[in-house]
Amino acid sequence: MEQKTAPVLEMRNITKRFPGVIANDNISLTLHRGEVHSLLGENGAGKSTLMNILYGLQQPDSGGIWMHGKPVRLQSPADAIKHGIGMIHQHFMLVPSLTVAENVALGLRSKRHPLTNLKTVAHRIQELSEKYRLQVDPNAYVWQLAVGERQRVEIIKALYRDASILILDEPTAVLTPPEVDDLFVTFQQMAANGRSMIFISHKLHEVLQLSDRITVLRHGRITGETFPQETDRRQLAQMMVGREVQMAPNKSEVRPGSVMLDIEGLFAPGDRGGDAVRNLRLQVKSGEIVGIAGVSGNGQRELAEAISGLRKPRAGKVQINGTVLRTSCPKSARKAGLAYVPEERMRDGAIGDFNIKENLILLDHGDTKFCRPSGMLRFAKIKEHCNRLVDEFNVKTPDLETPTKHLSGGNIQKLILARELSGNPKVLIAAQPTRGVDIGAAEYIHKRLADERTRGTATVVISEDLDEIMALSDRIAVMYEGEIMGIVERDNASREEIGLMMAGVQRLNAA
Amino acid sequence: MNDFFSTTILIATVASGIRLATPFLLASLGEALGQRSGVLNLGVDGVMLMGAFVAYFVVLKTGNPLIGAAAGILLGMVFGLVYAFITVNLHAEQGVSGIGIYLFGLGMSDLLFQKLVGTPLPIMPFPEIHIPLLADIPIIGPMLFTHSLIVYVAFLLVPAFTLLLNSTTYGMNIRAVGENPAAVDSLGVSVTKVRYSAIIIGNGLAGLAGAALAIELGIFQHNLTNSMGFIAIALVYFGAWRPFGVMAGSLIFGMVAAIVLQGKTLGIIPRSASDLAAMAPAVITIFALVLVANRFKQPAALSKPYERGR
Amino acid sequence: MNPVRTLKKALIAAATVALCLSSGNLFAAGKVLKVAIIAPSASNDLAFTQSIVEGINAIKAERELDVAITDGTFVVEDAAAAIRDYAAKGYDLVIAHGSQYGGSLKEIAKDFPKTAFAWGTSADTFGMPNVSSYEAHSEEGGYVMGMMAAALSKSGSIGVVGPIEVGDAKLYVDGFVAGAKAQKADIKTNVNYIGSFSDVALAAEAARAHLAVGSDVLTGTAQMVVGAVGVAKTKKAAWFGTQANQTVLAPEIVVACQVYKWEVILKQILADMDQGVLGGKKYAISLANNGLVIEFNDKYELPADVKTIGMDAITAIKEGKITVLK
Repeated sequence: MEQKTAPVLEMRNITKRFPGVIANDNISLTLHRGEVHSLLGENGAGKSTLMNILYGLQQPDSGGIWMHGKPVRLQSPADAIKHGIGMIHQHFMLVPSLTVAENVALGLRSKRHPLTNLKTVAHRIQELSEKYRLQVDPNAYVWQLAVGERQRVEIIKALYRDASILILDEPTAVLTPPEVDDLFVTFQQMAANGRSMIFISHKLHEVLQLSDRITVLRHGRITGETFPQETDRRQLAQMMVGREVQMAPNKSEVRPGSVMLDIEGLFAPGDRGGDAVRNLRLQVKSGEIVGIAGVSGNGQRELAEAISGLRKPRAGKVQINGTVLRTSCPKSARKAGLAYVPEERMRDGAIGDFNIKENLILLDHGDTKFCRPSGMLRFAKIKEHCNRLVDEFNVKTPDLETPTKHLSGGNIQKLILARELSGNPKVLIAAQPTRGVDIGAAEYIHKRLADERTRGTATVVISEDLDEIMALSDRIAVMYEGEIMGIVERDNASREEIGLMMAGVQRLNAA
Repeated sequence: MNDFFSTTILIATVASGIRLATPFLLASLGEALGQRSGVLNLGVDGVMLMGAFVAYFVVLKTGNPLIGAAAGILLGMVFGLVYAFITVNLHAEQGVSGIGIYLFGLGMSDLLFQKLVGTPLPIMPFPEIHIPLLADIPIIGPMLFTHSLIVYVAFLLVPAFTLLLNSTTYGMNIRAVGENPAAVDSLGVSVTKVRYSAIIIGNGLAGLAGAALAIELGIFQHNLTNSMGFIAIALVYFGAWRPFGVMAGSLIFGMVAAIVLQGKTLGIIPRSASDLAAMAPAVITIFALVLVANRFKQPAALSKPYERGR
Repeated sequence: MNPVRTLKKALIAAATVALCLSSGNLFAAGKVLKVAIIAPSASNDLAFTQSIVEGINAIKAERELDVAITDGTFVVEDAAAAIRDYAAKGYDLVIAHGSQYGGSLKEIAKDFPKTAFAWGTSADTFGMPNVSSYEAHSEEGGYVMGMMAAALSKSGSIGVVGPIEVGDAKLYVDGFVAGAKAQKADIKTNVNYIGSFSDVALAAEAARAHLAVGSDVLTGTAQMVVGAVGVAKTKKAAWFGTQANQTVLAPEIVVACQVYKWEVILKQILADMDQGVLGGKKYAISLANNGLVIEFNDKYELPADVKTIGMDAITAIKEGKITVLK
């Protein structure tokens, strides 16, 4: 797909160093009018740095940016906006306490300066939302909006500023499959109108679906440029990681045993009152992985917390291996044989300022294995234990004394998994086990989860990543607004059907 | 008992409540503005003390309360500049920095007073201004319209700040920076500028609050504010960061104090209950705070330094 | 023979038995005494703290002393730290000038048996040999000024602004009220304890409240009353002060002030120390020993008959013909 016209944007030989790392090493990138150019890479590959440079948030150490053949200096977002660059950030850049119109108007010069001019802004938002089918109420407060609507506000913000180049930083991360489809239609319409887009993602099938061109980054360097019609997922993954990647773990033949986790009529309150989990019933057998699919915020976190005793259920009961758990008592759950890999790993899973050793014995530092009757810790035993776990789970760390927060996301997750699995659990809850984790580590984590299945653990994997759910599960349960919309056998599952359940459009009678 | 409800007493009590509320109102309005931009300033009391001393000193030398008040504001703004540098540029922990400012103000105001003045000399207070026509309205007139200039200024700032926060681009920027500075930054608005300006204006008001106190009382003394600045911070939470809410809080505090004083003067509150009654303004404010506080959320970015890319 | 010499000789004899004698008994050796004062508010507060500072300064004019002052210790813990610090540094006399410091002093004095401690206002020495207490019979001056206030008032209503109903403030206020009643039985005395020693703004409003109910003569005690004096000045109400001479605050309305001359008892304490007595004694200033003095403001045109009432009362109290609050 050779373009004859001058590119609207050229980033030439961009290099950016941070202490100890080269985030961008001599990267060049072009973007043509009406083109969707995907930037693919793992966390830490340098995508975000490159885009921050383009949006004026960071300055390159060397290299420059040309637009329409002329060099430009982008020293702040204000400069970038002036040059028609807009950015849709992965974490929404919205102010919840302001209205949609106010959010859009932020930073724009009002015609009635110093007073605001929100009526005109609202009117123009209406026009844009009709033109691009981005349904949104300009007078609604952002905190009242659902995730999908917030995404639309972000896009309208960029369109309102008449951005001709849009940086889309993982825009689909929090959307349901039908919402993603709608969004892609909007993007294609924008491209047809001559707007250019840089699309950042690590979801391979989306990249293949939307892009005109794909550039892959690894360790701050470009490892390849290709076109969707010339490549496939396996090849892209290999370019990202630098070696052959196993997309799904080998799962051995396991015949599920008896019911180990039995949840009945569970209601759990949300953080803002109301029921986040509603009348939930689920059984998981030994040697089985049940995947819980759904857009985050539909009660998955509350479910995991209710099971592990971190949230007091309003009604219902949870049994592990035949023992009814005491409500809001994590100890009773642990005693019954529960292991829990929480979704917020740095908040609920590990203590950042503690070192590797300390985090590894968080669960059982009071146990006689590690603790003398006097309360003094047995350091030699602890060291031996931790060395074994670090080796076994392939945690990459200089030593056991390193503060955990200095490790990469993947290594922290492996560390948590090592701690949780070291007690040979009967039931494992793994929430978003590979979110923000590099492909190599994700591959390893998936393998361990499959091993646990073989060992006979009853596992619940909660994930927003449908690919992950499809790869791991024996059965898939879909959660929407706190309820299970349906449970399907993996082998009979279709993406479309699951997508419709995730969006709450379709409900299966629970099997 | 009937004495308490006579018009003279009623007028005196309400007027007293308004006067007592004024320094709190000025300080909390300033603090509210800073907090709306996401910066917590626990140093209000220190800035008030410095403002009080400087205003006192200037009036002592010039005999002009207006110049004194202006000096108080200016001094507050200088403190604001320093505090903004500490919190915005250096990303310092705001709780501790604020306490540092407080201790500095507490010590420095007293030191300067001892060195430059020594024995407390009285200064010329603000004259009372009777607003034509309005002051002649029976009851309401003498209650509300026979105060000094600074009282009118403080209460007129309430609608002014409401307008500023809700209907101007600048106000929208302040609110947005206090909730999600990254969003504002991404739209090309300087978080630094917004926070600097909010802190400087806010501290200017704290300086004015101190000046108002010293000039109204016509005196300066060690720890003249008697920790009013800390109560002003509580009143910001009470008022849910809204100017009219802050005004309501200040008025409740001032009115309760005035009623208690008047009650003691008339002997309605027995002497044995005197010390308990003295706690009433604080206790009632705390109760009201508990009732109100959970209904509103504080600015999401309050007391969080902003660093791009973090 | 000079008693100091006698003692000195005795000591030299004793020194042959014990080399390490209590330093307390060595005061007589003619060395300069080191005196420390810890006081709650500023040294120039025109009230309680200023009174002790002026007292020690008066003594310094007569005999050589090494004086250190720590003021502004509203916080008792800060004061306690300073008290201990001075004792440890070898100060001979440590004066804790505030009744709130008593508890701390009791603990500290145990650890420094060779240091003399004095505290006030109080009449409690804790039965310790190195602690003396001092107080002011401020009710006497209060009584005198109460009589004059009642005679001066045209409205028949007098206002009193007090801090918290304890110690010296209570004595003064009770004396003042008793004096006013003695002068004019139907006088209205409104007493308002505002609940704070430091809230100047509240003291000012308390004065306004008094004026609102028709009081035309005001008095008040403790350091926060400077606010009340300011209000009285703007409304031209007469003012009676206590603890220090407050005339400078408002020359046009201050009638008279009861001034504390702590030097009277400080002199006694030092003399006793010269004799080797470190404490266990109770001291008091009063009109009779001239530790309390009523200072009139010459600029205030006080009717001669009112002044006479005051002067007569002073004489009567001095001669014991009137006993206040007994």
